[in-house]
Amino acid sequence: MIKLENVTKAYKNDVTALNEATVEVEKGEFVFLVGASGSGKSTFLRLVNKEESPEIGRIFVAGKDIATLSSWKVPYLRRNIGSVFQDFKLLTNKTVYENVAFALEVIGRPRHVVKTQVPAILELVGLAKKVGNFPNELSGGEQQRVSIARAFVNRPLILLADEPTGNLDPATSVGIMRLLDRINRTGTTVVMATHDRSIVDTMRRRVIELDRGSIIRDQSRGVYE
Amino acid sequence: MAIKLDYVARETATNLTRNVTLTLASILTVVVSLTLFGSAVMLNQGVNNANDRFKGGIEFIVYLQPTSSQDQKDSIQRDLEANPDVREDGITYVDQDETYEEFKRLFGESPQLVETVTPEILPPSFRIAPTVQDPDIVQALGQQFEDKAGVYDVVFAFEVVKRIQETFNKIGVRFLLAAVLLLVAALMLILNTIRVAMFARRREIEVMKLVGATNWFIRVPFIVEGIIQTLLGAAVAVASMTFVIRPFIDELSQDKVLPIFQGFEVTDGNLVFTNLLVVAVATVIGAIGSAVAVSRFLDV
Repeated sequence: MIKLENVTKAYKNDVTALNEATVEVEKGEFVFLVGASGSGKSTFLRLVNKEESPEIGRIFVAGKDIATLSSWKVPYLRRNIGSVFQDFKLLTNKTVYENVAFALEVIGRPRHVVKTQVPAILELVGLAKKVGNFPNELSGGEQQRVSIARAFVNRPLILLADEPTGNLDPATSVGIMRLLDRINRTGTTVVMATHDRSIVDTMRRRVIELDRGSIIRDQSRGVYE
Repeated sequence: MAIKLDYVARETATNLTRNVTLTLASILTVVVSLTLFGSAVMLNQGVNNANDRFKGGIEFIVYLQPTSSQDQKDSIQRDLEANPDVREDGITYVDQDETYEEFKRLFGESPQLVETVTPEILPPSFRIAPTVQDPDIVQALGQQFEDKAGVYDVVFAFEVVKRIQETFNKIGVRFLLAAVLLLVAALMLILNTIRVAMFARRREIEVMKLVGATNWFIRVPFIVEGIIQTLLGAAVAVASMTFVIRPFIDELSQDKVLPIFQGFEVTDGNLVFTNLLVVAVATVIGAIGSAVAVSRFLDV
């Protein structure tokens, strides 16, 4: 589903964010990316949905080499990839329903699809009763659920999560992880960058550890360190 | 990928009302610059129409010495009639008495001047209409008669026309220059309005890019916004040209104190042409301004 071949990404200030990384993630896998800040976890995720391009190496997503993907095709790549962030990136002037519907509307989905898909996904993430609320009326955990609903409403093949529990307390984080696990069980590949030791140690999934841009550990059913 | 019309309309309306002051500033600049531009174009058309009128008539006048003999006059008349560049019906002889009548008519308001003049001291003249209107050919033709016996002077109508034309071209060029400067200002204002609109919506744009909205889907509402701003400006400019500038030029052409404007005319066709030109320029300015803004500040 995701394959990196000798990928090197350096930023202008000579920081090497990723150094000859080679790794493959199969369809339906759940992968934790761990490592210190600046080890290259976010760069890994940004390369996969082509917010960045590598200097050297090739990246395959769903069998396609995305290094040679022309810029006008990038939106179509991203329709197959859901993204979740630490800071949720919700639109404060839109309700829960509108935030999720927005993701379908702007890729031109017909109205009847929006009308059936959005309530279904909000039911799935447990926010059926909050459809009319605005993000600032919700708790952090609820906001992250909205953001996951938005990322998953289009049923993408891949879900990328960049420290989704970074702003949440441990109990709330468990709820979010249950939700991501549930999404993973539908066959969606999940790649999650995290600093949360207890989550990684509890879930016992594949762990890829990065250190200053290099992959130093790749362990199935791994622990944080 | 279908870009929905109602989506574009909704987004554009929101954007236009979000920055009312900035939007108004750019629209007003567009109005002033396009009105200036259109006025320059119409003035130019008015001058050309005035010249066309001149061209239909007398192109040059051969003045004879008041003391010239009948033989000299006949000789010049024969030469004129034999010349293929002179229209057959284009030779009018004005004798001294007629010249005196004309003089009295022209200077009727200065009786003292008229009193000092008698028909004998005024030059009789041939008023000539050539077959061609090319100023160079007309000049060469007229100059053939300058040195003939009995000729006092040859005066060309196009010299007057040229003077008028040069004067108005100078005015027109300055108008156009000011208009171009203002259009550049309008362009930059549009660019900034769109930039502010995009900044106000940067979170939405970020999300749109994230979930896979196409670049054009994101861009189109902003470009439409830019074009609508300039078109609103163009509408006001067209109205002011139709209901203010053109009647003003018409009024000038009737003005007896400023005879230089006589013959000025802006036809309905000229007006329509100018207005269409203004709308076209507005569209181009709006499209360029917003397209530049979108390509420079919307990193998609």
